[in-house]
Amino acid sequence: MIEVEGLTVRYGVATALDEVSLEVRDGEMVALIGPNGAGKSTLVNTLFGILRPAAGRVTTTGRLALVPEGRHLFAPLTVDDNLRLGAWRDRKGRDTGPIYELLPELVPLRKRPAGRLSGGQQQMVALGRALMARPDVLVIDEMSLGLAPLVVETLAGHLRDRHAEGLAVLLIEQNARLALDLCSRAYVLEAGRVVAEGPSAELAGSAGVAAAYLGLEA
Amino acid sequence: MTERSERHDRVFWSSLFSSRQDGIRWWWIAGALIVSAVPLLLAPGQLTTFVLLGLSAMAVVGLSLLMGYAGQVSLGQASFTAIGAYTSGLLALHHTPPLLALLAAPIVAALAAAGVGVPILRLRGHQLAFATLALQLILLSVLGDADWAGGAVGLQGLPYLSIGGFELDADLDYAYLVLAGVLLVSLIAHRLVRSRVGRGLRALATGETAAEASGVPVGAYRLLVFAVSAAFAGLAGGIYSFFLGYLAPGSFPVLLSIEYVVMAVVGGLGSIGGALLGAALITVVVQLLTTLATQPGMPSYAPSVLSYAVYALLLIAVVLFVPKGIVPTLRRSS
Amino acid sequence: MAELLQYLVTGVGIGCAYALTGSGLVVIYRVTRVVNFAQGSFAVLAALTVTTLLGAGLPHGLAEILAVLVAGLIGLLCGLVATGKPGTTPQTALIVTLGLGVLAYAVEILFWGDQPRSFAGLAGSTGGVQTHYLLIIGVTAVVLAATALLFARTDLGRALTATAADPYAARIVGIDVLRMGLLAFAVGGALGGLAGVLITPVQQVSFDSDVALVVNGFSAAILGNLTRPALTLAGGLLLGVVQALVGGYLSTSYQSEVALIFMLAVLVARAGRRGVLEAA
Repeated sequence: MIEVEGLTVRYGVATALDEVSLEVRDGEMVALIGPNGAGKSTLVNTLFGILRPAAGRVTTTGRLALVPEGRHLFAPLTVDDNLRLGAWRDRKGRDTGPIYELLPELVPLRKRPAGRLSGGQQQMVALGRALMARPDVLVIDEMSLGLAPLVVETLAGHLRDRHAEGLAVLLIEQNARLALDLCSRAYVLEAGRVVAEGPSAELAGSAGVAAAYLGLEA
Repeated sequence: MTERSERHDRVFWSSLFSSRQDGIRWWWIAGALIVSAVPLLLAPGQLTTFVLLGLSAMAVVGLSLLMGYAGQVSLGQASFTAIGAYTSGLLALHHTPPLLALLAAPIVAALAAAGVGVPILRLRGHQLAFATLALQLILLSVLGDADWAGGAVGLQGLPYLSIGGFELDADLDYAYLVLAGVLLVSLIAHRLVRSRVGRGLRALATGETAAEASGVPVGAYRLLVFAVSAAFAGLAGGIYSFFLGYLAPGSFPVLLSIEYVVMAVVGGLGSIGGALLGAALITVVVQLLTTLATQPGMPSYAPSVLSYAVYALLLIAVVLFVPKGIVPTLRRSS
Repeated sequence: MAELLQYLVTGVGIGCAYALTGSGLVVIYRVTRVVNFAQGSFAVLAALTVTTLLGAGLPHGLAEILAVLVAGLIGLLCGLVATGKPGTTPQTALIVTLGLGVLAYAVEILFWGDQPRSFAGLAGSTGGVQTHYLLIIGVTAVVLAATALLFARTDLGRALTATAADPYAARIVGIDVLRMGLLAFAVGGALGGLAGVLITPVQQVSFDSDVALVVNGFSAAILGNLTRPALTLAGGLLLGVVQALVGGYLSTSYQSEVALIFMLAVLVARAGRRGVLEAA
């Protein structure tokens, strides 16, 4: 689905990603955790072709969709129009009906301008817009940022459901507890390098990760 | 801090006309010497071109400073040429000694710039571009309707400039007057760029908020550069009025402002050498093409078509492919 | 009274041309953030094209429609030059469109000379007003309504709005931002061309008419900060009517200043308000 090998990305002389390798396999739900400025957004922008790698390889198979950090909805357009544009690449697949079945919370909002919604509602629309592309892999950048725990739990529930139906997910999170909880495997990115990887349970048990990201005493 | 900057200011003003500081490079002196020999070698028609080139160069040095250091697009630089020209022309026609009338030109242009600058310099980018364009259109319309300015016909029968009983009545005289003007303008611009104002404005170009936060009086510096750049154009206008002996609103069309922009951009914004080269290059190219286009057998519209095409294509090509302009690009690569 | 009505109708008619020119600026600005200085040239080129097509024997109607399409194509080309090179900033693109406006002078003089030209519009008069003004008003109403529908009711229009609102998000969902910008330039070109085609029968056009048109169009659009189509229409009509009244009751020599002073006032007032907000 996603295979990143030895990826190096530079902004001028600054190296944002340094020989990063990671993999998301068919139907797998993988977390990428790390502090601010670790290079997570750089990785996203490279996956989606907005940045060009200086070295290394990004291979993707199947359809990729992104729920970007900060949600980036089309503020003046209605929720329904935002959803429709999620399927921009697929002229025949722009019927929004199925999404309202998957995300019933959106039904009462469908005619509202996206810019006027609360953060949680916007995140739901962003998720719906990404699902409109009927992706094989969903990349979610900072889903929980700034949202109330209850809202995050609802979103996480939707993610589990989609994952159960076979959707592969790359979850990029600062909230390591949430990410490790949702995903079976995880990578830890620090200063542009993958410093740890493995099954979530193992990582959560390792002293360094627990201390740095889960707020536990080592 | 304040003491130091005061001292710096004193040094700044006292050094304006001295070459004591490291600023004046040898090639500037060599270039000035070579160029000062040029008028002696030119035919009468070419002398006119030389004078007009120099006048453009003066206005363009100012515009380049404004666009390069204050980061603003002005589509109204020719307004200040017009204001300078009309100031000199009107004063000279009302029996003011010509030299005094000439000196008034840059002063009135600078005052006018300071006056309109207070409200409009708060605008940015395309807003300022359209505002300066609008001001020029208003000025032209007012001049065209004003009886005291001769209306659409303009002012005629201006006297020659005379300095201490010596009357400048030959093209060669004006060639050297313009040369002196270009030197003066370049020197002032050079000092201004090297001064605290110039450093502050460079900081401004890289980030306004940062510059403001570090205590640069952004508004005042920008207004100063706007007024100085207007003064340069005003001085050019003043000389122009005495050189040609007549003026009309049509002598200062919007297209003249655009020509100035083309010259400044092609040479390289914020570079004095660039402004001079841009003015020279475009004037010479257009002159050559005009000569070519007025050969027998060429259609009557050929000169204007060719000159418009040159302005347009040079501007587009330089903006897209040599965005820093010719002189800064050459300097960097050497 | 009849005089007043006449001024109002001619004012609205001329105002329609400003509104069309301004709407073209708005469409282009919203999607690309470029203020297209060559906007007036589309009108001039279209009008001159009509004179040629009519001269070649094409009937009225067809000649005008073809000329508007030509203007759309020219708009597309302008967009390609101004925004096609990767990394071109809106500020750079503004200077490029300035150059394109001057290039249009060369083309126009080469093909059509530097003398003013015109062609016949709708003949006759209705209720003491030249019928052609009514045609201008009717066509403008239909075209602007259709443009509004395009933006509100079609996926293409939604994609244009989306690109204007958030180019990054547009890229993410697979919208080709550059292509949307070019489309906006084409629509802007056609709207500008329509303004020229409609107004030329009542107001001669020459190669340098573009400055007055772009300035009036910009003045109309600035009321809505270059992003609001409805305010642009209102601004255009207001300018047209005030100019007609000033020209009719005061003096035609003050007509051109109306738009200029209006524009300066709006710009300065808005900058002042922004300054106050920043200080607060």
